[in-house]
Amino acid sequence: MKIDPELCIACEACIVYCPMGAISMQDDVAAVDQDECVECGICLRSGSCPVDAFVEEKLPWPRQIRAEFSNPLVPHHSTGGGGRGTEEVKTNEVTGRLKPGWLALAVEFGRPVTGARFRDVDTVAQALAKVGVTFEPENPVTALMADPKTGKMRDDIMNEKALSAIIECVFPREKAPEVLKTLQEAVKKIDTVCSVDLADLVQPDESVAAEKMLDEMGIFHRINGKNNVGLGRPRYKGGD
Amino acid sequence: MTHTLHRSGTEESLRGDFVFLFMTAKGYNTADSGPKFKKFFEIAKKNNAVNMGDASFGNQFTKGFDNILGNIKKDYMTAVHAVFDNEEDAARMLKDVKEADMGLSLVVSGIFDRVKGMCQNHGIHRHAATYSLGIWGKTEKLPPDEVLNVITMCGHGMISAARVNAMADEVRAGRKSAEDAAKELASQCDCGIFNPSRAAKLLAAMAK
Repeated sequence: MKIDPELCIACEACIVYCPMGAISMQDDVAAVDQDECVECGICLRSGSCPVDAFVEEKLPWPRQIRAEFSNPLVPHHSTGGGGRGTEEVKTNEVTGRLKPGWLALAVEFGRPVTGARFRDVDTVAQALAKVGVTFEPENPVTALMADPKTGKMRDDIMNEKALSAIIECVFPREKAPEVLKTLQEAVKKIDTVCSVDLADLVQPDESVAAEKMLDEMGIFHRINGKNNVGLGRPRYKGGD
Repeated sequence: MTHTLHRSGTEESLRGDFVFLFMTAKGYNTADSGPKFKKFFEIAKKNNAVNMGDASFGNQFTKGFDNILGNIKKDYMTAVHAVFDNEEDAARMLKDVKEADMGLSLVVSGIFDRVKGMCQNHGIHRHAATYSLGIWGKTEKLPPDEVLNVITMCGHGMISAARVNAMADEVRAGRKSAEDAAKELASQCDCGIFNPSRAAKLLAAMAK
């Protein structure tokens, strides 16, 4: 996103809308720091500019991925979908993606507030790949990997920044302690934050094995979370 | 998409925060889904939803309820949302959606014990649960909890910390009510999962 300096009246109304703090006053007009801007479009959609000074240009590769990951209304060129991740377990009673005995992990870089460079995604993805996770093939981060077996991201996107980007992967339940410990070590090497989540199937007695495992490992989890209540149809084969 | 997860706050505050997500599974049940999404919104409105939105279109504060319904196509692939600020309305919503028997996937985000209780009361066995393990990495870059508790209600990060602080300043100065400030923030969350009722309470507390 850019601001036309000839139109800007220096009212500063747009500055607080930018989640990356990328808008500032330069030479008495508002300007967007192009390195920090994640092309989320919030400034434009806020309607805060009284003179329509924002200029939204067609983004070249690889900058276009900033908008794809940061603006929920822009679909990914790789998957055709919007947002940052996939249906994951939200439709699992229909798709059967997550099987009994497996867990699904999501690591959402840059959320909340900080944004993230793909070089940080690369650091963690390569660490997770070494302990044998399987990256979700329909996830747009996976689509940007040079090699989904190693977790290596494409070299030409490493410095691109997004409001957030999500690694989604699955692994057998018995690997969970190794995967989570690897993640704990890998995030020490990144220059941003990540929100982490773990999904599991609910047992017939309403218990969730992952919750017990997290407690035994001493890993914090919030009291609130997501519940797929199982109303979708058709049920996947073996899902009844 | 983990946008309805990772909402931070105290247990007391989170007792007034339930998000319903209703969606198609790509390649399975998109045919004739449009009327089901419309039905979902009508049920949500009847049960006093404090926010509603379509991830592909926008929220009630920017688009309006009628336009959200009008944009829905016959075979429509999307995720729609409704937010409730109390357990009673959320429980009625769950019961009504189950009885409407529409066959799309429903995800309810909220305090696990409360959602689990609602499900059991209505004979629903949950299929899967997703746990937030919190925020890892360079957490020193984060703003204070009072700001995080507001901005984590927009899972796509559309609401800046600066904007939350500015709204709290407006409330403190008496230029806006907490309710109006919360609705302004809600308009920036395109999916419609921001809870303006809870946000008004949080902004009022920040403004003290």
